[in-house]
Amino acid sequence: MEKDNILVMKSITKLFPGVRALDEVNIHVERGEIHFIVGENGAGKSTLMKVLSGIYPDSSFDGDVLFDGSIKHFHGIKDSVSDGIVIINQELALFPDLTVYENVFVGHEVVKFGKVVDWNKTKELSKKFLDMVGLDVDIYRLAGSLGVGKQQLIEIAKALSQNVKLLILDEPTAALNENDSANLLQLLVDLKKEGITSIMISHKLKEVVAIADSLTILRDGKTIIRMDRKDINEQEIIKNMVGREIEDIFPKRPAYKGGEVVLETVHLNSYDTNLNRYIVSDANIKLHKGEVVGISGLMGAGRTELAHSIFGNPKKYKISGKIIAFNKAVKLSSPKDAIDQGIAYVSEDRKKDGLILFETISQNICIADLKKISKFGILNFFKQNTYAEQYVKDLDIRTPSILQQVNNLSGGNQQKVQVSKWLFSDPKILILDEPTRGIDVGAKYEIYTIINDLVAKGMSILIISSELPEILGMCDRIYVIAEGIQTAEFDIKDATAEKIMESATV
Amino acid sequence: MKENVKTKSFMEKLSWLIYKYFLTLISMLRTNIRDYGMYIALMTIFVAFGIMTGWVFLAPVNFTNLLNQTAYVSVLAVGMTLVIVTRQIDLSVGYIGAFLGAYVVVAVENQGQSVVVALLGALVITVIVGIIKGLFIAKIKVPAFVVTLAGMFIFKGFLMLKTNNRYIPTSHPFFQKIGIGYLQTYEVAGVDLITLIIGGVLLLAVIFSGIRGRKKNVKLGIPNEKIELFVTKLVFMSAVLSYLAWTLASFRGISYLLLITVVVVAIYHFMTTQTTLGRRIYAVGGNPDAAELSGISVEKILVIVMVSMGILALISGVMYASRLQNTSPNHGPFWELYAIAAAFIGGCSAAGGIGKVVNAVIGSIVIMSLKNGMALSGVNANIESIILGSVLLLAVVFDIYTRNVRPVDLVGMHYAKKEFGNELKQAKTELKEAMLEFKLAKNEKKDDVLEYEYKVTNAQGTYNKINERIRIAKEEDFIKV
Repeated sequence: MEKDNILVMKSITKLFPGVRALDEVNIHVERGEIHFIVGENGAGKSTLMKVLSGIYPDSSFDGDVLFDGSIKHFHGIKDSVSDGIVIINQELALFPDLTVYENVFVGHEVVKFGKVVDWNKTKELSKKFLDMVGLDVDIYRLAGSLGVGKQQLIEIAKALSQNVKLLILDEPTAALNENDSANLLQLLVDLKKEGITSIMISHKLKEVVAIADSLTILRDGKTIIRMDRKDINEQEIIKNMVGREIEDIFPKRPAYKGGEVVLETVHLNSYDTNLNRYIVSDANIKLHKGEVVGISGLMGAGRTELAHSIFGNPKKYKISGKIIAFNKAVKLSSPKDAIDQGIAYVSEDRKKDGLILFETISQNICIADLKKISKFGILNFFKQNTYAEQYVKDLDIRTPSILQQVNNLSGGNQQKVQVSKWLFSDPKILILDEPTRGIDVGAKYEIYTIINDLVAKGMSILIISSELPEILGMCDRIYVIAEGIQTAEFDIKDATAEKIMESATV
Repeated sequence: MKENVKTKSFMEKLSWLIYKYFLTLISMLRTNIRDYGMYIALMTIFVAFGIMTGWVFLAPVNFTNLLNQTAYVSVLAVGMTLVIVTRQIDLSVGYIGAFLGAYVVVAVENQGQSVVVALLGALVITVIVGIIKGLFIAKIKVPAFVVTLAGMFIFKGFLMLKTNNRYIPTSHPFFQKIGIGYLQTYEVAGVDLITLIIGGVLLLAVIFSGIRGRKKNVKLGIPNEKIELFVTKLVFMSAVLSYLAWTLASFRGISYLLLITVVVVAIYHFMTTQTTLGRRIYAVGGNPDAAELSGISVEKILVIVMVSMGILALISGVMYASRLQNTSPNHGPFWELYAIAAAFIGGCSAAGGIGKVVNAVIGSIVIMSLKNGMALSGVNANIESIILGSVLLLAVVFDIYTRNVRPVDLVGMHYAKKEFGNELKQAKTELKEAMLEFKLAKNEKKDDVLEYEYKVTNAQGTYNKINERIRIAKEEDFIKV
C-alpha cells in the first residue's frame, strides 16, 4: 500500500558562510504520526525546521519541500501557516501583557465588517480551543502571569485556531517540569487522534521512546537514519547521534598527576525567581590544582547557570549551599568578589557578555584588572599597551595593531582577546564557557594549546561545552548535568561519548 | 615602485610634493571624518554668520559674549555626555540647576547666609538628589527617562516655592564676579597682555604635548599619524588659539564664566581619558553585561554619573543666575534639552559607550552660535528652533552614515594605481567580455549557460580583488620598495 506522506523534504542543502548547515538532508513524515528529529547540538535540527516553516525563504536553500502532495515555495512564515504548518519555538512567541484570549487570536483576529475585531466571538472561540488543549484558565488573565507549561498550551491552542495540519515543536519540554511535560506529551497523543501530525525536536530520549511513531537522526547536517516505532530504542539512538571518532584535533598534554582541591561546591542550589524553578540543584563539584574538569550537558541543562552561580552570581539567583575556594568557605556576591578570589570566567557569548565591541584590544584586555595598570586611579597607558602587546604576541592574536576595535576581529581572535582579558587578571581558576563556539578548527586548536599551557603552569580549568569531542579530548574528569541536576561523574579513562549522552538525556 | 627621479625637474617634484600633501590631508579628513566633521561644521557656521553680520559676529565683544552665554550649557553638556555614554538620560537637570541657583541666591540675599555656606548647602542637596536618582535608575530599574521626568516636575515645583514665584535680583559681589566679572587684566594699547600670555602658554603646551605624544607612541610601537598632518594640525590649532586669545584680549580678557567652563572641561577630560573611573564609565556604557562580569559594579557607576551630573547642574545654575544677576521661576526650561542636543551634536551615541566631553562643548558652542548668530543677523527669532532642530537631526544622521568609514590613503592608492592600473584595466575588459558572452548565451538558451555565469562571477571576483588591493593600499607599502 502506498504510504501517505504529509511531508517530504528532499535533499535539502543550506549553506551558511563557511558551513554546510544542512547537507542533502532527507526526511519524510507520514500523515497522523508523531515524528521526532534527534541530534546533538548543532546537528542542524532547528535549521531544518526554519527551512520548512519558510523562515529561510525558498531561494536560500537547495532541495524540495513537498507538503500534502505538492511542492511548496514558502517565502515566509505567513506562507507556511496558511498551508497549515505551525512552528512553536523554544522561545515562546506570546505577548505576556495581553490576555489569554487575545494571545490565541493575535495576528489572525476574528473580524466582522471586514476590519472590526469581534471580541465576543474571539472569546467564545478561544475558550473552545483552550478546552481542546485541556487548559482550564480564566481567559482574562495575562499570559505572562501563567507558568511556562500553560503558556505552551496557549501556543498550541493558537496553532489549532489556525487550522494546523502539521505542528512543529522545537524542544517543547526543555523548560517544563515533569508534570507539565507529561501533560504536553499526552496532549500530542490526543491531537494525533484528531488527525494532527506533529514533528518534535527533543533532547530527552525517554520521551522520544515513549511517544515517537518514527524519528530521524541528524548529525553534522546530514541525515543518518530514519527509525520506525518498532526499531526505536535508546541505545540505538545514542549510537547514531554520536557516531563519530574523535579526530586528532586535540594537542596532547602530560597526564594529570593530582593536586589539592582549589574549588569545591557543596550542595549548591540556584533558584531562578523569574522562571520559578531550580536551575542548579545540589551541585557538588571539585576542581584540583592543575586539573581540567569538563561540565557536559545539553543546551539548557544549567551549565552556564552553574558557572554564574560560582562566578559571583551576576544574574541574582537565589543561592544556597557552600562554595569553598582554596580551603576557605567564601561568599561570592558579585563577579568582583570572585575575581578577587582568583576566579575568572570566559563567557559563552563573547559579544554579549564578554567584550566591549567598540573598544580597542588593549582596552578590552585590561578592563578586568584596572588596578594593575594604574596608580591612584590614573591610568598608565604605557603599561596598558605593554601588557596588551605581550598577550597579542603570546596568544598570537592576529591584528594589525593593539588599537584595533575588537569588533573588527574574527571570532577566533575575539575569543583570544577574551581569554587574554581573563589571564590578565591573574586567575588561579579559569572557567571557560563554550570556549570554541563559533570559531574555526584552526583557532580551536590554538585555544586548546593555550589551555594546555595554562595547565602546565598550574592553573585549574573548568570547561563547559556542548561538544562531546571537546570534553573527551581536553578534560581529565567530567561532570554531566541534566536539568540542573548533576547526573554523573566520569574519569576520562572511563568516559565515552555514549555514556555521557546517556547521562545527559534523562 | 620607484619614482624615476632623474628625469624629473625640480618643478615637477615640487608640484608632486604639494599634490601629495593635499592627497594625504584629504585622506586623513575622509578617514577621520567623524572626529573632524564637527569642527568643520563649527567653522562653517562661524564664517557664515561672520559674512551675514558683516563680521560683527566674530568681533571681540560678541565673541566674548557668545562664550559667556555658552558656559552654562557647556557645563551641563559635559555631565550629560557621561549620562548618555552610560545609556541613560537626565531630563531633570534644567530645573535642578535653576532651583540650586535660586537656592544659593535666596540663601545669600534673603537669609543672609555666607556664599560658602550657601554653596555647601546646595552641594549637599544635589549630591543627595543625585544618589536618589541613581538608586532609582540602577537598583529599582525605573527607566531614567521616567525618573528624571519626575525630577523635572518636582524641581520645577521646588524652584517656584524657593523663589516664591517671584523674580529676585541680586547684587552680591560674588554673583557679580562670577557672572559678569573678568580676570585681572593688564592692558597695553587696548589689548590685555595677561590673556595673551595665557594664550601663549597654552599654545606652547599644545605643541609640546603633541610632540611628547608622538615620542610616547614611538616608544610604545604605535604608528604615528603622518608628520605633514601633524604639522598641519598644529598650525591650524595655533591659529585658532591665537585668534581666540587675541579676540578675548582685545575686549576684556578672560571671564570667570569661561575660566570655570575650561576648568570643568579640563577635569572631566582628564577623568574620562586618563583614569580608571573613566574607563569604567565607558565600559559600563559599551557593554553593561560584560562590565558587570568584569568585576565593575554597574550600580555604583550609574550612581556616580548621576551625582556628577547633579554637581555640574549646581555649577551651571549658579553661573546662569550670576550672569543674569537674578533668580526667577522662569529659569530652567530647555536647559537639559540644550545639553542633550549638544551631546548628540558632539557625537554621543544613544546606544552608549561613545562620546567625548570636549566634543559636547563644541556641540554647545554650535547651538549657542546658532542662537546668537541668528539674533545678530536679524533672522526672524521664531525660525531659530526650527534651524536648531534640523541641525541636531543632521548631526545624528551624519554620525550614523559615517559610522563605518573605512580608512583610505589616497597617496597609497595613487602609487597602487600606477602599479596595478594595467591589471585592473585588463580585468575590467575581461569582465565586460564575460558578461557579454553570458548575455548572448542566455538569449540563445544554450545548455551550458551556468558555465558562462560562472565565468562572469570569476571575472567579477578578479576585478574586485584588484580593486580592493588598490583601495587598501598604503603609502608605506610603496616607499620601502
